[in-house]
Formats: sequence, C-alpha cells, structure tokens
Amino acid sequence: MNHELLALACVTAPLLGFAVALIGFRRRHSSAAAIVIASGLVSLVASVLLLITARPEAQAFTARWFMIEDFSIEFGVLLDGRTLIMGSVVALITLCIQVYSLYYMASDPGKGRFFAFLALFEWSMLLFVYSANLLQMFIFWELVGLASFLLIGFWYEKPSAVAAAKKAFLMTRVGDVGLFIGLILLFQTSGTLDVLGIANIFEPHGLPESIAPQRIELIAMLLFVGVIGKSAQFPLHTWLPDAMEGPTPVSALLHSATMVAAGVFLVTRFHGLFLDAPTTMTTILWIATFTALLSSTMAMVAKDMKRVLAFSSISQLGFMLMGLGAGSLFAGYFHLTTHAFFKALLFLCAGAYIHSSGTNDLIAIGRAGAARRMKITTIGLVVGGAALAGIPMFAGFFSKEHILSALHGPGQMIFKIGAFGAAFMTAYYTFRMVFLIMRPNPNSQATPDEPAYPHDDAHGPAEPLAMILPIIVLSLGALVIGFFGDKIGAILHVEHIHHPTIGEMAPAVVVALLGVVLAWIDFGRANAKQRGFVSLVPAAEKLFEKRWYIDEIYNTAIVRPVIMIAKLCYGTETRGLDKGIDSLAYSTAKVGREVARGHVGRLQLYIGVAVVVVASLVFYVGMR
Amino acid sequence: MPGFPILTATILCPLIALLVTLLIPGRHEKAIKIANTLCALASVILAITIWAQYDRSVGGFQMMEDMAWLPSFDIRYTVGVDGAGVVLGLLTAIVFFTGVLSMWTLKTRVKEYFAFKAALVFGVFGVFFALDIFAFFFFYEIAVLPMYPLIAIWGSTRKEYSAMKLTLFLMAGSVLLFPGLIALYVQAGGETWNILELAQSPQYTRTFQIFCYPFIYIGFGVLAGMFPFHGWSPTGHVAAPTAVSMLHAGVLMKLGAFGILRIGMTCLPLGAAYWAPTFATLATAGIIYGAFVAMRQTDFKYVIGFSSVSHMGIVLLGLNIYAGGGDVAQTGLDGAIFQMFAHGIMTALFFSAVGFIYDQTHDRDIRHFGGLVSQVPIAGSMFILAAMCGMGVPGFASFWAELLVFIAAVQTYPVLGILAIVGLIFTAAYTLRVLGKAMFGPRNKNWEHLVDVGVWALLPRAILVGVLLLFGFFPNLILDMIRSTVWGP
Repeated sequence: MNHELLALACVTAPLLGFAVALIGFRRRHSSAAAIVIASGLVSLVASVLLLITARPEAQAFTARWFMIEDFSIEFGVLLDGRTLIMGSVVALITLCIQVYSLYYMASDPGKGRFFAFLALFEWSMLLFVYSANLLQMFIFWELVGLASFLLIGFWYEKPSAVAAAKKAFLMTRVGDVGLFIGLILLFQTSGTLDVLGIANIFEPHGLPESIAPQRIELIAMLLFVGVIGKSAQFPLHTWLPDAMEGPTPVSALLHSATMVAAGVFLVTRFHGLFLDAPTTMTTILWIATFTALLSSTMAMVAKDMKRVLAFSSISQLGFMLMGLGAGSLFAGYFHLTTHAFFKALLFLCAGAYIHSSGTNDLIAIGRAGAARRMKITTIGLVVGGAALAGIPMFAGFFSKEHILSALHGPGQMIFKIGAFGAAFMTAYYTFRMVFLIMRPNPNSQATPDEPAYPHDDAHGPAEPLAMILPIIVLSLGALVIGFFGDKIGAILHVEHIHHPTIGEMAPAVVVALLGVVLAWIDFGRANAKQRGFVSLVPAAEKLFEKRWYIDEIYNTAIVRPVIMIAKLCYGTETRGLDKGIDSLAYSTAKVGREVARGHVGRLQLYIGVAVVVVASLVFYVGMR
Repeated sequence: MPGFPILTATILCPLIALLVTLLIPGRHEKAIKIANTLCALASVILAITIWAQYDRSVGGFQMMEDMAWLPSFDIRYTVGVDGAGVVLGLLTAIVFFTGVLSMWTLKTRVKEYFAFKAALVFGVFGVFFALDIFAFFFFYEIAVLPMYPLIAIWGSTRKEYSAMKLTLFLMAGSVLLFPGLIALYVQAGGETWNILELAQSPQYTRTFQIFCYPFIYIGFGVLAGMFPFHGWSPTGHVAAPTAVSMLHAGVLMKLGAFGILRIGMTCLPLGAAYWAPTFATLATAGIIYGAFVAMRQTDFKYVIGFSSVSHMGIVLLGLNIYAGGGDVAQTGLDGAIFQMFAHGIMTALFFSAVGFIYDQTHDRDIRHFGGLVSQVPIAGSMFILAAMCGMGVPGFASFWAELLVFIAAVQTYPVLGILAIVGLIFTAAYTLRVLGKAMFGPRNKNWEHLVDVGVWALLPRAILVGVLLLFGFFPNLILDMIRSTVWGP
C-alpha cells in the first residue's frame, strides 16, 4: 500500500466534499449529503488502512507549500502512533454522525449546507491531527474553531444559537491567544516548525542544556491556556454547555472526536515537552481535577439531557488531562479514544429521543415512553452510560482505571481523592439519566421543565435505519474498544503499561457501583422520589443548577467591564476627540467671524492700525 | 516591450478616464461608465504586467523613468517600483476596477462622479510609483483633494460636515508634512528631490533625523488613520458613497502608511528607529482602541470605519518594528505591507456589501436588521466572508499579515505584541456582534423584499473574495514580492 497516496486521499476527500457540496449542491440536499458521506467513507477507509499497515517508525509526507527567504514552510501529514489512532477515530465517528444526520436533518431547509460544514469540520480536524508542522497545526486548530462556530450557530435564526456560537468562538479565542504566543515562543526556542523535530528535542527525558527550564514552563503553560479554551476546562468551560444549541449530531461530533478533543490531543502531541515542565503539570492536575469535580456537580442536577452530557464531557476531559498531567501519555490518550466512542453514542441516543419526543427534558422524555418505543436506542444508552460510569468490562472502565493508577506520585493523593469523587458523581448522574428515561414514574416528585411535543413526523419509524446503524456501530465500539488498551499502547510506543491488579481496581469499581446504587435508590426503584440526594441541601441544589453562578460572575466581572471600557472609548471618541476637534474648528470659524466684524470699511481705522504696526516694527528693529 | 514606459502608462489610465469622462456629454451615462470600466480594466492589466515583469531575483527599484519637470527647482518626474509599489499598485487597480463596477447603478451626476474618482486614482497611482519627493507630494495632494466633493455631493449622513472634517484633518497633516519635506530638501543641500539620492545624504545627522521624522510620520500618519489622529476616517467612511468608501479605506489610507515607509523610513532611518517605540505604542493603542469603539457603534459603516483604525494599527505596528531594526525587522515589514494589501481588499469587500444593502434600504443601523443572510444570501455571505477575513481566520489573506506582524511584535516589543494579540479577542467580539445582530438572528420583516446580488453585481465582489482567498492560500506570491522592497540604507 502506498502510504503517501492513502494519506493524501484521507485528508483531501473531505475538502473536496465540502467544496462540491457547498458550491455545487447547496440546494440539492440529497446530492450534497451523498457527496459528503462518500468523502467521509474515503477518509475512513484510508485512515484505517494507514493504521493497519503502519510502519513502526514515524513517517512524514510533506510538500513545500511556500518559501520565505530560505525558510521553507512544509505542509503535510505526519504518521505516527498518536496521529494514526486519532485520525481513524475522527474518521469513524464523523462518518457515523454523517449517516445519522441523513435522517435527523432530513427535513431541514439547510441540509446541504449542514453536510458541507460537517465535511469542513472533518477536514480541519483530520489535518490538525495529522499535522506535520506547527503552523499547519495552528491553522487547522483555528479552522476547527471556525467550523464549530458555523455548526453551533447552524440554526442562525435562533438567537440562542447565535449567542452560543459567539460565546464558543470568543471563549476559545481567549485560549487561542495563549496558544498563539506559546507557539511563537516554541518556534523561537526550537528553531523549527517541524512537529516531529520538536518532539525529538523533548522526547528524551531531561532538557537539552541550551534551553532554560523556565522557558519551557512558560511555553507549556501558554499551550495549556489554549487547551483550557478548546477542551473547555475551568475557567473557560462555560461555552461548552451552551454549544448544545447546535443540532444534536453537531454536539455529538463536537464533544467526542473533534473540537474539544483537539485540546487534549495537543497535550498528547507535545507530551514530551509537558513532561519537562513539572510546575505546569501540577497546574494541569489542579485545574483538571477541579474541573472534573465542578462539572460533575452540575451534571447531577441538570434536567436537559444534552446539558447533562455536556457537563459530563467537561468532566471527562478533566479526567484525560489528569492522566496526562500525572505523566501518563497512555492513560490520557486511551481515555480520549474510548470517550470519543461512548460520548458520541450517548449524544446520538439523546438525539434520537429528542427527535421523537420533541423535548430535551429527561423527565419528559421518560414519561413520553421513549424507552419502550425505542428499544435499540435504549440499549445504546445503557451501553454508553455503563461505559461513561466506568462499569467493569465497558470501555470507560479500562481507561479510567489507567488514569486512576497513574495518579500515584508523591503529593498526588489529593488528585486521586478528587478523581474518585468525580468518578462517583459520574456514575451517579449517568444512571440518574438512564433511570429517569427507562423507569419513568409520573407520580414522582420530579417536575419536567419542558413538556414533550411529539414530532410532526412521529408517525414515521421510531428508529429509522440511518439513525440506528450508527448507534449500533458506536455501541459495539464502546463495548470492545476497552480491550484494545495494549494494542493502542503498542502503537503509541508506550514501553510498559501498568496493568492495575484486582486489588487496585477494586476501589474504583466500588465507587462506581456505589454511584449506580445510589442512583437506583434515588431514581430507579419503584416509588423513588426522583429528586436526588442533592435536593436534601436546597442551597447546594440551587448552586449546582445555577452552574455555580460562573456565567453570572463572568458577566459582572468581565463582560460588563469590557462593555464599560467600550463605552468609555466610545465616549472619548464622540464627546472627547470629536468634540475637541469640532470645537477647534468652530472656534477658528468664530475667530474668523469676529475678525471679519472689524472689517467694516472704515479706512481711518485700517490706516491707523497699519501705522501702529509699522511703527512698532521699526522701533523693534531699531532697538537691536 | 523594452523601453515601454509601463508605470507612466498605468498612471495615465485614470487620467485618460478623466479626460474621456470630461469630453463625453453628461447625458451619455452609459458611455461614461463603459469608458471608465475599460480604463480601469486597462490599469488592472498593466498592474498585473508590472507584477509579472518585475524581476524579483534582482530586487530594488525597477522600470525607472526619469525626466526633467521643473528644472529650475531640481524637480524631476521620477518613477520606479519596488516590491511594495508593485503590490500596492495592484491593490489600487483592483479596487479601482471593482469600485467602478459596483457603482454601475449610479444615477446622480454620473459624469462628475467618475471624473473626480478618476482624478483620485490618478493621484494614488502616482504616489505609489513616484520617487521624487515633490512629485510624491504633488500626487498625494491630487489623491486627497477629490474626497471633498465626492463626499459632499454623493455622500449621506452629515455629508458636508464629514467632508469638511476630512479635508481639514488631511490639510493639517499636510501642514506638518510640507515643512518636513522641504527640510529634507534643504538639509541635503538643495540639489535634488530624488528619494534615493536623498537617502544617501550625509547631511542627515541623527539630531536632524530625530527632529524631522515626527513631522513626516504624523503628517502621513493622519491619512493612515493613526491613533489619536484618526477622527476623520470613520466619519468620512460613513458619509462617503460606496465606491468612494471602498477607495478611501481600501487604498487612500494606505497612502499614508506608504509615505511613512517610502519617505520617512527610507530617508530618516535613525529618526525612525529613535521614535519606533513611541509610535509602536500609539499603533497598539489604536488597535485596541479602535476595536473597543467599534464594539459600541450601531452603524454598519462606523463599525467598519473603526475596524479600519484597528487594522491600520497593525500596519503601523509592523512598520515601526521594521524601523526599530533587529532580527525580525523584515518580518514586520512583510506583515505591514501584506496587511495594507489584505485590509485594502477586505474593506473594499465590506463596503461593497454594506453599500449593496444600503442602496435598497437606506438604513445602516445594525439594530434594524436581522437574519440578512437568509434574506440576501449572497450579499450576506460576502459580508460574512469579509468579517472572517477581518477576524484573521486562516485561508484569508489577513491571517498571514497579522501572523507576521504579531510574530515580529512578540519578539521586538513583547508587551505591545501580547496586547495586540489580545486585541484579536476584541476584534472577534465586535465582528461577531455585528454578525449576530444583523446577519443572523430572526429575520426582520421590513426587509423581506430585498433583492439579492445579481450576476453582474456579483462580479466585483467575487473578484475581491477571490483575491483574498488566493493570497490566503498562496501567501508566498505576495511575500516574495514584498521581500524585494528596498531597505533603508
């Protein structure tokens, strides 16, 4: 197999799909969808072939894009363990979601545009993942952000969608500023844009002597700022829950294999560099652990299904970063991979329920009888939920185990405790969601915020093939991917994978089961109150529901001051600078008028003034 | 065609347009429009030919022409181009051509309008090619003056006020500039006005340069929308008719920046280096200030006007990095000139999209619109594309320009560089605000009747988008050219 051609096909097919669908078939929706899906299929086949036939050593296929002086900018595809796995995951999940969208978006007037943007999203993400060059990485990082902006705001007549898209773009851009400066410094320090070259500088343990440790700390910290924005970590996490304003397939893509995954992937890409920056690594651990806990609390009380899943994404991304921050590339990467499957799966299930019951509200979906009507979807929900909760033998279980056992270093006890706390809450809120849907109880104390409105096309099949097929594929993925840990480790060239013993696994299993059992007591069993244990402390429930008031705080502490400054500048401009200049001009004109008033035609006065002026001049000259 | 005076021919294109326009009786509007289109097209072809003929391996000034003009004052007509001149010449030709096309529907005083406009472009070409300070200033004034009638007659929204304000500001700039230029001539011994010869003059001591440079910088800076002397520019943009806004923001503001580079930094490198930190600080202040003011504006054109102040701040920042010297000086210059070009095309696109909507609605308040992109998909998309370019999205020319300036800035003036990059957030904020309010959101029922861009009206806009994308994907095309720009001695 010619790897170069395969790589080329893999990364250009979505671009072609995007261009053809957007320009040629904006109104011929089905053709646009077919073209995009065909291109997605090409990418999938190519990326999987590349993965299967991969050489043990890294390969880079680059072509010179252009030269500035004697500095060549090379763009291309870097094939090593990290890119190959992620590339296949991206292609597979995107294709599933594209097929799913065939039915989900079938009656949308913007279907053609939707598919075109999906292809743009895939293209950006693939070229970001496969990047062989720092500049290329940054460009596609930005394009991933642009594509999410376009897709979150896809229903652009809906003000909430527009606001969400704007928020996502702005908040990730805050992070991008850090990333951008970090990349400039990284380039300055390493003298090359070549990703592999940079990796080789930092991959061996210990820093090269020519590089000051503080500088690496600074670079790593700045790169991490970018990750905070993209992967929705505290304090830049607030855009992700709002991003569910986009169509559900977009959420599924955004939360699993693209966008938020890009941030974590960046850390795995330069993990060698991060390992050389211990202070940054500790910072990552703090932020990741705090984020995981914070967002789990919000997920425990949210009633909107997509919002629960969004909070869980934030917390799972925190888990990945915990693993990476603890120094284990494998743990973080493995969880990134497994999470992509089960989170996409859960969102697709959510989309199916929402599509048929016309509401996002968990309680309403359950009471509408969705679980009975849609059996395969419900199986998918249970599989995805079990994987997310870390129930043994499901995907999330294995990768979470690796993260927990990676947290063993000195001083990491506190993070380990935090991780257990988050794992417990994860199991609890996941099964809260599962039980609310599967075991609806119209007499419970739970009150839906939003009643169910069955769709107009509810008379169609409840579970059309186009929606069910991706759910089945992803369910299988979420079932089996956990067993591929060793394989993934081998492709990543991780030398020794620490396999947790039964004794080490036990606490995590106990914690997860505890969460499930508590969820059963609160929501699952017959006559459950379905109010959750958090409601025992109303203040806490309120706090969690209000998302810790973080949005409000930002509004008061950042947005308002920015608007104040803008107002101040506006005032300076209109009342200060403009007025000043205007009054200068008007007073000049006034002086002119006043002077003109003296020109009244009295010759005597003119001559008199002239004589006085000449006399003083003569006098002045004479005195010298 | 060896010996063919191609630069003069290019300068003459708009002059011919002017003369022909004057000769054709005013009632033959179509003939006037066709004549102008043809002359503009000729200038595009010539500008592309200049681009193609310019020998990048040699670099420096090429296609020189030189002849006596006013011998008793040593004034000569000397023209020549370096990389910057080639790039900006092409920019002018493109904006001229697309501007004529987008005013195809003009009905009032067609003859006068096209005559003034041709005069303006004539001056602009002259400035970009002139190598004699006197000729430079002569063309410069020709380019600036027609703005007054163009705004006062065909404008809207307090047009007399804006036209007067603009003229007074620019005159004030010229008042600073004129003694500065004469000082250059006198100090060097009063024998030549030639920029290249003056640049070699041993008489320009450091003290003289430090004293003289601010006159030139601020004098030209007024036209470049330099903070805090930018007040005329947004007001002028708002009042001007579409094609004049296009030329005005697209090309005219670049004259100022070009003057700083061509005369200030070439002749007075020591003065430029001395003042670089100060002016770089002002430039950065302009980047951020412009973005903040744009955030509060409610008029489409005011938003774009202040975004121009912000984007021209990037040009000036790049120029001052160049003036300051050091390893990344060339990167700063590359970015600055690239930004001049990219911003020129981008603003032209912005104004042409807004003009298209304004022509039908006679309203420019962004709060009065909503969901435009579904009402007029093509015009709306054009606006969105320009907005993306403004935000520095990869794939558009601005991305590279900003990237280069910021890379250089972080290394030369770290604090300013970081502030300028943070400015990107506020740029996104005001851009997305406009998009969210006017382009997206619920449709405003008042504008359901709007007609979208037709095939002919699409042409100029498609050209502008194409150029932005072309140089966004192949930045080397333009970077190689800029690299041939002559360094200060």
